Amino acid sequence: MNAEASAPAAASDAGSLAAQARARARRRKVQVRAAQAATVIVILGAWEILSRVGVIDPFFFGSPLGIVLRLADWAVNGTAYGSLWLQIWVTIEESVLGFLVGVALGVACGVTLGEIPFLADVFAPFIKAVNALPRIVLGSIFIMWLGLGLTSKVMLAAVLVFFVVFFNAFQGVRSVDRNFVANARILGATRLQVVAHVVLPSAMTWIIASLHVALGLAIIGAIVGEFLGAQHGLGLVIATAQNTFDANGVFAAMLVIGVLAVSAEAAMEVLERRLLAWRPPLAGDSNVKGI
Amino acid sequence: MAAAEASPSGVEFSQVTKRFVSPTGAVMTAIRDVNLSVKPGEFCAVVGPTGCGKSTTLTLAAGLDRPSAGIVRVSGLPVEGITKRASFVFQTDALLPWKPVLANVALGPMFRGQPRKKSLDMARAWLKTVGLSGFEHHYPHQLSGGMRKRAALAAALINEPVLLLMDEPFSALDVQTRAIMSNELLAVWEKLKPTVLFVTHDLEEAIGLADKVAVITAGPGTVKAIFEVDLPRPRGAVQDIRFQPRFLELYRQIWEALREEVSRAYSRVTSAGPDEGAAA
Repeated sequence: MNAEASAPAAASDAGSLAAQARARARRRKVQVRAAQAATVIVILGAWEILSRVGVIDPFFFGSPLGIVLRLADWAVNGTAYGSLWLQIWVTIEESVLGFLVGVALGVACGVTLGEIPFLADVFAPFIKAVNALPRIVLGSIFIMWLGLGLTSKVMLAAVLVFFVVFFNAFQGVRSVDRNFVANARILGATRLQVVAHVVLPSAMTWIIASLHVALGLAIIGAIVGEFLGAQHGLGLVIATAQNTFDANGVFAAMLVIGVLAVSAEAAMEVLERRLLAWRPPLAGDSNVKGI
Repeated sequence: MAAAEASPSGVEFSQVTKRFVSPTGAVMTAIRDVNLSVKPGEFCAVVGPTGCGKSTTLTLAAGLDRPSAGIVRVSGLPVEGITKRASFVFQTDALLPWKPVLANVALGPMFRGQPRKKSLDMARAWLKTVGLSGFEHHYPHQLSGGMRKRAALAAALINEPVLLLMDEPFSALDVQTRAIMSNELLAVWEKLKPTVLFVTHDLEEAIGLADKVAVITAGPGTVKAIFEVDLPRPRGAVQDIRFQPRFLELYRQIWEALREEVSRAYSRVTSAGPDEGAAA
């Protein structure tokens, strides 16, 4: 009864406190954004001015305006290898396919070896040996084998992605709570059911942690593959700009790739939130998110 | 009632020994020459000091592990592979954190080949039985400890086990929740009458719930004594039964047997004799 009487007062108090906290959080967000915008303006402005007055050589370092003009030129007139959109699309296609192939193989092999210790023991030295190799060099082999087209880049991206995902999936499978497995078996689960309902979802936390890195590596694989030999793609555009000492061109392509990578990362985060929706909020999260 | 149609499922340990080999090659004897016979439908509590191998008896009865010597029989048949029609309730509940409560409880029938829809309906009915209606779509971490335990109980009972193995199931709960859960366990047990093997280190809990209390010695564990608990059934609230003279008398008797083992186990831990457990 007592609590009921004091409830409205407490509620409005709590309400105004919450409103204050929200207002403070909003103010802070605006300040942070303003400071970020200022940083960008100062850096780009200094770059532009210094290159115009000749302190830094625009031939080697380009200039912000030059980059924008180059981008506009590509967008309107196309690059040496067809429209800009085609180059972007090819690179996206290679990265995404490489990412998917690498993740699928990495998860499949990681789970298999994690579940079957005998296989893990047999393959451990081979995997370590291949992993120690700087895998970028495989790009040359793939281009020799598979030609200048899509497949060689997909393979290179997939190989880069594979190892990261594989090791995490393997570790994730190995660290499954034994009680979960025992309980599922007692409840009547077959081995495959244990993998599907217990092992894989449990390893998912580990696998997803690797996907962020893997996505970056997929883009690297595609671009490096295009450097090494291609008919289309942003990597090829950069390589060409480099060969013609076109600094603005290199920066312009870099900018496009940066936008791609950031969008991919954002998409990844959405996927992560969906797949890990079951997880309890982390202790630290509550005071990070203002609203 | 419904118990009549279930095949009788007593548990029998004869001369069961279980040794473990540690990764360093040392041999550790968990239990030694355990003889214990639990009749179908009987509620048997197993008490003993920490680390005496109580839980090992459960994993052997469940078929999760094989004895190094001796035979474990369930329903008269030696345990081979996972024991059929048994369920296990763990100390830390084995609810899968990535599945909502309903899907967790439905796992049992689904693993046994029931269609998805029917499994979910069964799970819904069981959640109602344990008082968790309305929480079907919550994830385990969104429930309190007591509610998680109810869900775990529903998940274990949905397969209508004739043998229920419980490994300190309520030890992580606070005292009040624990009393409530004990009462609810008894209510369900009286309805379904599965054979229960209930491991605990809490003597009050053991006497309050069980027909029979087996005292295990400090590791390597073996059965030191078995006490029949002749308190009338239904017991009613376990928190009230503690004040009955017969309860206190049993408590004194069993504690007498247990005390020595507890202090032996304790002195072993504190004086850290490394090779004592590895002997034999």
